[in-house]
Amino acid sequence: MAETIIRTENLSFAYEEEGNRIPVIENLNLEIEKGSFVAVLGHNGSGKSTLAKLINLILTPTGGTLSLFGEKVDEKEMSDDALYALRQRIGMVFQNPDNQLVATVVEEDVAFGPENLGIPPAEIRKRVDDALDIVGMRAFAKHSPHQLSGGQKQRVAIAGIIALRPDVIIFDEATAMLDPRGRADILATIEKLNREFGTTVIHITHYMEEAIRAGRVIVIDDGKIVLDGTPREVFSAVDTVKAAGLDVPQVTELMLEIRKDGFDFPADALTFSEGADAVEAYILKTRNKKEHS
Amino acid sequence: MNAAELRGVSYIYSENTPFRKVAVNDIDITFEEKIITGIIGHTGSGKSTVSQLLNGLLKPTSGTVSVEGKDIWEEPKKIRQVRFTVGLVFQYPEYQLFEETVYKDIAFGPKNMGLDESEIDRRVRTAAELVGLTPDFFEKSPFDLSGGQKRRVAIAGVMAMRPRILILDEPAAGLDPRGRDEILSRIVEYQKKTDSTVLMISHSMEDMAAYCDKILVMNEAKPFLYGTPAEIFGQAEVLERVGLSVPQVTKLMRELRRRGYDVRTDIYTVEQAKAEVERLVGGDAAC
Repeated sequence: MAETIIRTENLSFAYEEEGNRIPVIENLNLEIEKGSFVAVLGHNGSGKSTLAKLINLILTPTGGTLSLFGEKVDEKEMSDDALYALRQRIGMVFQNPDNQLVATVVEEDVAFGPENLGIPPAEIRKRVDDALDIVGMRAFAKHSPHQLSGGQKQRVAIAGIIALRPDVIIFDEATAMLDPRGRADILATIEKLNREFGTTVIHITHYMEEAIRAGRVIVIDDGKIVLDGTPREVFSAVDTVKAAGLDVPQVTELMLEIRKDGFDFPADALTFSEGADAVEAYILKTRNKKEHS
Repeated sequence: MNAAELRGVSYIYSENTPFRKVAVNDIDITFEEKIITGIIGHTGSGKSTVSQLLNGLLKPTSGTVSVEGKDIWEEPKKIRQVRFTVGLVFQYPEYQLFEETVYKDIAFGPKNMGLDESEIDRRVRTAAELVGLTPDFFEKSPFDLSGGQKRRVAIAGVMAMRPRILILDEPAAGLDPRGRDEILSRIVEYQKKTDSTVLMISHSMEDMAAYCDKILVMNEAKPFLYGTPAEIFGQAEVLERVGLSVPQVTKLMRELRRRGYDVRTDIYTVEQAKAEVERLVGGDAAC
């Protein structure tokens, strides 16, 4: 079994508002393995972004423990340097492409992170070129970010994170503001990072068709994990997914609706071709029965 | 009467510079009144340019834009009046909230129209109700609200001007499924209650299918297809050729047809697909 690189035990986060304690994450237990591609789903306010920020050490938990790379994180005990070192290993890409680029030239933007780490110039050059190659934006290295589309900007933001060579990248609704083509590009980039470079990916999204491409799907509601499994396992629990304010793929819902009418259809079809397979299998089965009777 | 028309309209950004870009190219479009028309297309297909041409934010490089039968640039000094007739809600409108309270933010538009206090109050209350905001929100700061609530405040601000044509650019972008359904069904309700014309720009084929009466597909600076959702999604292969996605159930029906089953392919909702699949398998079992 692969090494567990993120582990939470009864992790909790709450904030105070007008003297009241507002819980966001409650006693959450989670293990994420090295090299996995995990999609996190949940409606707005479910706590999924807070969880991401806890894992990235942007927020400090109010209860429970968090271990990263086999090491328990204790912000009181650890030196700032040790915390920075951990944070560098977990990159984060945010929702709005316009809020993440700081430089006026694409390659300078990608170099911003490595420069701040004090990496030698020749090494920075290499990292920037490699990162732009991975996201397919090398041809735009000398462009100004404002001439790029949203999807292209987001790919530059990802390159800026790749250049820091993190072990884990958290995408916090990084596709939410993009058009279908931009989303497809980002998803292809995510899959490439995960498969070819072994980067552990946590992808927070509202899009079910993106989640079905992950190896594992976690559904969060009210700060708790309500479903955790393969996309097939999770989406066949249509009622729980809907109760959490989310959608299931149209084909999964269609199969469920047909089942409700008494037809023996599979509950876990996710794609249109699986749906067509199911319809075809049903027709063949009933035809055979008739021939035998 | 039609709500709005574009005749031979072109719009070119940064003319006479190296960045010259033709956003819409000699287009003729008619928008029908008192229905919801969805405008769909890729980034750069010209759909946002069309919306800004309709409300007079952009002046066409050539051609005529008419609203309610009148050329809006006939008297350029009166263009401000067009912006009250054609209300435009931009993408991510919540970034444009600026007032101290929700009430003041919604009242901003009607105030600029020079209406009296009691009329402004009436309009703020009606608009808030249309988007599902209760009066206990009025004294709150818009910045204390959730993303979905902020967006509703911003949309109410435009509705309060009572535009006869309301244009919304990606009203559901970035919202979760529940928030998306909430906002889109409010828009449908608004259209019914006010009997006005609504144009909605979106990337989401599923949303378009579920909430629009007619769909206009833009591609490469030109109108490409126009019709009811069934007419549009019946041409799935044409949509896919220009790189637009179609709903998953539409793909399923096309796949069944490809495998030799006699099914309709102009299907775009789960409900329609269920009826069609059950007809297919039920019919097969019976014979």
